[in-house]
Parts: sequence; C-alpha cells; structure tokens
Amino acid sequence: MAGRVASLGRLLAGLLSVLLAYLAAVQVVWGPQIADAPQNPRLAIAAQRIHWGRILDRHLAVLADSAEAGGHQVRRYPTGALFAHLLGYRTQRYGLAGIELQYDPALLGLPARNPWQTIQQAFGRAPRGNDLVLTVDSAVQQAASQALGDRRGAVVALDPRTGAVLALLSHPSFDPEIMEAQWPAIARDPSAPLVDRATQGEYPPGSSFKPILLAAALARGRVTQQAEFDCPGSITVAGTTITDFNNESHGHVTLAQAFALSCNVTFVQVGLLTGAQAVLRTAEALGLGRAPQFDLPTGAGHLPDPHALGKRGLAQIAIGQGPLLVTPLQMALVAAAIGNHGVMMRPFLLSQVRDPDGRILATYAQRGSREVLPARLAAQVTRDMIGVVESVNGTGTAAQIAGVRVAGKTGTAENPHGPPHAWFIAFAPAVRPSAAVAVLLENAGVGGEVAAPVARRVLEVALRAQSAGGNRP
Amino acid sequence: MTVDSLRLPSSHAARAALTLRTSERGLLLWAIALGVLGLAVVHLAVYRSEPWVPVLAGTMALGGFVIVHAALCASGSDADEIVLPIVAGLSSLSLVMIYRLRPEYLSRQSAWIALGLLALLATLGTLADLRWVRRYAYLSAAVGLALLVLTVTVGVERNGARQWLLLGGFTIEPGEIVKLLLVAFFAGVLTDTRGMLMLPGPRRWSTDLARVGPMLVVCLGALLLLVFQRDLGLALLYFGVFLAMLYVATGRPDYVLLGLAAFTLGAVLCYQLFPHVRVRIDVWLNPWADPTGRGYQILQGLYSLASGGVVGTGLGAGHPELMPAAHTDMIFPAIGEELGAAGTFCVVSLYLLLLGRIFRTAVRAGGDLDTLVGAGLAAALGLQTFIILAGSTRLIPLTGIPAPFLTYGGSAAVSNFLALALLLGISGRTGQRFHGAGAHHGGPGR
Repeated sequence: MAGRVASLGRLLAGLLSVLLAYLAAVQVVWGPQIADAPQNPRLAIAAQRIHWGRILDRHLAVLADSAEAGGHQVRRYPTGALFAHLLGYRTQRYGLAGIELQYDPALLGLPARNPWQTIQQAFGRAPRGNDLVLTVDSAVQQAASQALGDRRGAVVALDPRTGAVLALLSHPSFDPEIMEAQWPAIARDPSAPLVDRATQGEYPPGSSFKPILLAAALARGRVTQQAEFDCPGSITVAGTTITDFNNESHGHVTLAQAFALSCNVTFVQVGLLTGAQAVLRTAEALGLGRAPQFDLPTGAGHLPDPHALGKRGLAQIAIGQGPLLVTPLQMALVAAAIGNHGVMMRPFLLSQVRDPDGRILATYAQRGSREVLPARLAAQVTRDMIGVVESVNGTGTAAQIAGVRVAGKTGTAENPHGPPHAWFIAFAPAVRPSAAVAVLLENAGVGGEVAAPVARRVLEVALRAQSAGGNRP
Repeated sequence: MTVDSLRLPSSHAARAALTLRTSERGLLLWAIALGVLGLAVVHLAVYRSEPWVPVLAGTMALGGFVIVHAALCASGSDADEIVLPIVAGLSSLSLVMIYRLRPEYLSRQSAWIALGLLALLATLGTLADLRWVRRYAYLSAAVGLALLVLTVTVGVERNGARQWLLLGGFTIEPGEIVKLLLVAFFAGVLTDTRGMLMLPGPRRWSTDLARVGPMLVVCLGALLLLVFQRDLGLALLYFGVFLAMLYVATGRPDYVLLGLAAFTLGAVLCYQLFPHVRVRIDVWLNPWADPTGRGYQILQGLYSLASGGVVGTGLGAGHPELMPAAHTDMIFPAIGEELGAAGTFCVVSLYLLLLGRIFRTAVRAGGDLDTLVGAGLAAALGLQTFIILAGSTRLIPLTGIPAPFLTYGGSAAVSNFLALALLLGISGRTGQRFHGAGAHHGGPGR
C-alpha cells in the first residue's frame, strides 16, 4: 500500500507544480500585459492617485497642471480656452480628449514604473507623472487667437523644416477646466465649439488649391510659366459658366500673372489642359484626401475619383470647388512642403517627455518626412506664390511683412452655408522658410482681405519668436 | 482517555515523559513571528488610527500554537515536527490577509483558530486513537449524509450555493466536517474489505460490487446532495478522495478508470442538465463575454494576480478589495497581488511541504487503518488546495471551497485542526515505531 500512497502523493505534487508553472506565467511572464487591460479598475485608481504630469509649451510655459482640491486632483489650464482643442480635457464622466488622451500613459508616468517610485509610494508620497513639452509657442497661438477675434475659423502654423506645430487654433473654443460642469451646454452650442476645425474641419479650398494645380500642370509639361492666356471674365465648360471675382476681366495674362491675380478663367483652362488624373495625383501626393498622421485625430477631407469626374467637375476642381474638401492642417502642410523644397515633414506636437525631476526621457526633433514634389517644381510654385503677395495687383498683398519675403496664396471658397470661406496659406521667409501657416475663416468673405492679415500677424510673431528665442527646446 | 494512551502500551514504560521537539520550536517561532510582523505591517500601513486590539487577538491566537507545541512536548510525542510550524505559517498568513482585506473579521478568525487549536488539544488523546474509525464507520457515514440532507432542506443560501446551516446565530459549513466523516468512513470500510477486494485469481463483478457497494451509495448520495446544493467544488473533492482511497487500498486500476469514466459522464450530464454548471464552465472559458457580470469575479482575480508581478505591491498597497469574496474564495489572488509571485510560490510551497510530510507519515504508518486515514486526509488536503487555488486563478473553473488553513471561516478552521489532530496522532505512533523506546526527541522530522 505504501507504494500507492507515494504515487498518490506524486500525483498531487504534480498538480501543484502545474499550478506553480501557471502562476509564473500569469504573474511574471504575461503579468504586465494582463494588468494593463483597460477593464482593470486599478488603472483608473492609479490615475487618480498619481499627480498627473504637466503640459508645457516650447518655452516651458505651463499649459496644464494639477492641483489638489477637496481631497481629489483637479486639472488646471492656466491659458483657459486658448489651447482647448489641442490639450483636450480630463473629466470623470466624459473621459479624456486631445493631448491628455493621446499621452495619458506618459502623463501618468506608467511605462517608467520603477522600484524607486514604488518605495516612494510606500512612504505615502503621491507619485508624479511625466511632463510633456510641446512644440507649440504660446505667443504665436496668442497672436493667432487675437487676429481671429471672435470669428469662426482655424489657424495652423508649423515649422516647414521639421514639422513642429507652432500654433493650432480653432474658434470658437471652450474652457477645458469647466467641461465636467458645462458639457451639455457646450455640446449643444450650434457653433460647435467642440469640433477642432484646424485638424478635422473639412472645407472646399477655393483658390488656395491653385498652387497644387499649378504644380500638377508644370509637372505634366503642358504649360510653362510664360504661357499666355486670355481672360474675358468668364468661361463656359460643359454648360456651366465659371466667372472671375466680380466678373472682372483680366485680359491677356501669363500663367504667373494669372496666379497672382487668382484668375479662375485661366486656371480652368490650365486644369482642362492638365487633366483630372494628373491634378488629383499631385493633390494626393501632397496629402489631400488622406488623414495626416498626427498626435491628434485628423480629418481626411475628400478627393473625387478622377474617372467619375467629367469636364465640368474638372473645371470646378481647378478652382478648388466641387467635390473637393480639405482641412486647415492639410493646407498648412501643403504650404510647408512647397516652401521646404518639396519635402513634407510629418507634423507633430510632442517634443519632449521629462520626468518629474526634469530629466529628459525622450526628445523628438522630427517624426519623419516624405518627398512630395520635385524641388525644381516647388521652387517654381514658390516664385509664383511670392508674386501673390509682392506684385502690385496680387491678391495677397495684405500679407506683406517689412523686411521679409512672404510667399502665399489666397482662397475664397463658395459654400452652401452662406458667405464664402476665406483662406490664406503662406510661408516665410520665401527662401528657406521657418514658418508656414494656413488660415481659414468660416463665411467671412474674401481670402485676401480677411485671412491674409491674420496669416501675416501669425507669421510675424512666429518669425520674431524664432529669431529672439532660437529654437528651444 | 488520556494523552498517554496515544502511545502503544509496550513502549509506555520506557518513554521519557518529555520530548524536546527543538525543530518544531524553532520553526514555530519563525512562523509566528512572520504573522505578528505581518499584522503589525498591515496595521501601520492601513489602519494606523484604529485600535491595536485585533492585532493582539491575532497574536494571541498564534500563541496558541506554542501551547499545542508544549502539550506535544509534555506528552512525549514523537509526531512529525514540521507539520505544526507549516500550519502555523499558513494561519499567520491567513490572519494577515484577513486583517488586510476585512479588518472587522480578524478578531473572529483569531477566535476560530483558537477554537480549532483547542479542538486539536482536546482530541489529541481521544479521536487520534483511530479505533473509533473502524467501529463507527457506518455511523460516520450516516451522520455525514444527515448533515448534508439538513443543509439541503433547512440550510441557507449564500453566494449562490446552499451550503450553510444556521446554528444559534452562527452559520456553519457542514461540508468541511462531512469531509472528515467521509474519510473516516472510507478508511474504516476499506480496512475491512480491501483484503477481499485484492484477492488474486478470477472474481466476479457482482461480489466486488457488494463489497464496494456501501461506499458507492454513500459517495453518490453525497454527490447528488452537493450538486443540488450547487456545491460543485465539494462534490469534486469528495469524489476525488473516494477514488484516491479506493486506489490506495486496493491498487486496482480498473476501479480508478471506471471512476474517472463515471466522473466524465457525470460532468457532461451536469453540464447538460444544470444551468449553473454551464455558467461556471462558460465563464471560465470566456470571462470576457460578460466582464461586468458573470465574468467579473474571475477577471478581477486575474487582474489582481497579474498586478502583483514578482514581488507584489506590498501589504496594503494593492487593491485586492476590488475582488468579490476576496477574503474567502479569492484570498489566493489577493496574496498574489500584494505579495506577488514570491508570495504565491511560498504559499504553494508550504502546501507542498505539508503534503510531503503527511504522505511521508502515511507511507510509514504502522497499520492499514493509519495509512488509509493518513492517505485520505492527505488526498483531501491536496485536492482541496488544488481545486481552490487553481480555480481562483482560472487554471480550472472556479468553485468556491475554502483553501485549507488560509480562507476565512470557522467550520473549515475547526475541521482542519481536527484533521491535524488525527495526523499528529498517526505520526506519533509512526515515530515511535521507527525510533523505538530510546528516542527522546526528533520524530520523522529529523
């Protein structure tokens, strides 16, 4: 009987050994993976206990901080509504948004859970999350906001050399600090303050599409900048008549002159010469119709199918109307890529992660690049965009900055919601630009009159900040 | 009967009146120190502003182990010296975790442990002499079945299982006592019949059945009652113990195979017939299907276990209280969270050591009866430990039975200490057999 008792013992010992192996797998090997499941309530509890990291602008000005109030932690946003769409918010009931959502783990310091933090926790000190340093510049953002005033619209400013976003503004905005209490009112507001117009608002580009068409036409080789066109003030394509602004006739013009004047009649002809496929291929190469990779959710806009596009459709596309939608972020990237010799840098907001003691854990100088236009073409388009701002009768003269050469393009986009949307895209200095900008004002009128002054102000502040403060961090 | 009657008459005169049991003393002090230290840590970390009274109660309960040790020394016992310290270690951990999870239950659990130790002391001299097992085998079975019938008819339901009896303000869990009674019954009957079951040569199934019949009837009756009680864990345990003892007594693999086939058939039938069995299995296979409802407990157990990592969060720093029934069914994952894999490995190792000592005792025991009771209790302890530890960690489907010496609960504490009394008795006789009259100290633990 003793032998059988021993085998029974071995069987039970075997069972418990299986348990040991299983425990090693669940607790040690797969442990972190299982514990990081969003359903694990410990994560939410940990988030409440951790002193959330701060969010700083490029000059380390505080954009978001945490404070203790009534026994629990509340988020403070010293800049109020200025960075609302970019920073997002932290609410119990409505969750997180923006940078707060995207970089929540870093703000909680979760990936860097180390033994030292555990020890500090044991002694009752609330652990601190990591600080985020963003690429944005409060001065540029402030300038954009002031220039927009209380008009609805968006401003995107970035550094074409790196893709670092300097300003990202959407009006109307909201105060992220009072989201918890004011949510129903803010969400119901007919002016849609929760929508981030800069990254997700989709609009017809109007004439701000012309640089793209110009690039496509020059690439195809059907026209040159010296090519001459006649502008009688209107043109009829497949039964639809397209007119110029105020039915004004531009007479006999070269392509470059037509670009500076934003002559619709000429560009309809250029579009027809170039063909739908070539135009849309260039638009696609420049990132239209696709959501840009970014730190925040982005809209894709819309590019029509070239095969389904008739002559009439092509004529409309040529002047940035019809089934064509873009976001301000996409247009800022287009301007930046043209200025940056045809190389589009991936836009980004996060420049550094710092631990609570200020040690730098990660630095991002750029997040990738893509060649979208041959440099020769980009230079040609740039030359014509300078003409828009600098030639005597150019549409964008309101964007002139003393001592700096600015390249730009106006846009006035017809839409079914009322007066046209005003666009201006620009970069400066025109040669080797360090700032590019896209301005959109909803239903505000003519691009050259209302959007160009906003762009000028933003470029001015951005250039001044760069020459004064260097490129910290 | 007195404590002296533990020993065989032949060696009675030659025995020194005292054994030193130095290994037991040393290990016991470590085990108790661990518990007292743990209680103090939990108190300082979590309940700093509360009175120290529960910690004192826990310390006093653990002090009870020293008294048992002294009693064993005084009676000149040669019983295994490792078993008691292991049990003290598990009890220490149990008190620490219960204080951590449910501070209001610490005093009560301390009282249960004290009561269990008292029962152990009281029965060292009476129950431990196993002759009653043979004489009253059928009475044990009858009392056990009666208790189960009572539970089914007048018992109260808690957490979805009707496994409790109300007795003067206390709720008792008869299943734990019935476990001991069944081991006694099987051991008693098998001691008498194993000779005939093992006879060589051709035999008839009908005669075999007549010998095994009573045990089958009792076992199936208990299983049926338990299934209606929805106490599947206990059903599995009883059946496993029955098979194990049958195998040890007869060595007939056909019985074991037949039993396993019957078990498989029964399991499939239960799955088809009873919705609550189906739910248990489905929730085990895919807890994510209903993460906030039926899958909640098992998922929380997994998160708790996984959150512990290698060394755990430390006592009081984790969130095991998020698990339903953390101080009973889920105490093992709770240990996993706050003490990490280090803690769970220690617990499983303690159980392995304890099983090792008990099986060693059973292997070396003098008579059939001692061996069978020892093997039965060891099988019960090992199976029960595996069923609840593996169940609460999702290795197997979860069925709520107490983890021996660990889970909060009075009935389990008392019956586990009674089992310990039987084992110390067997081991004491064994020790004497091995060391003869000259041995002054050091049982099989040496």
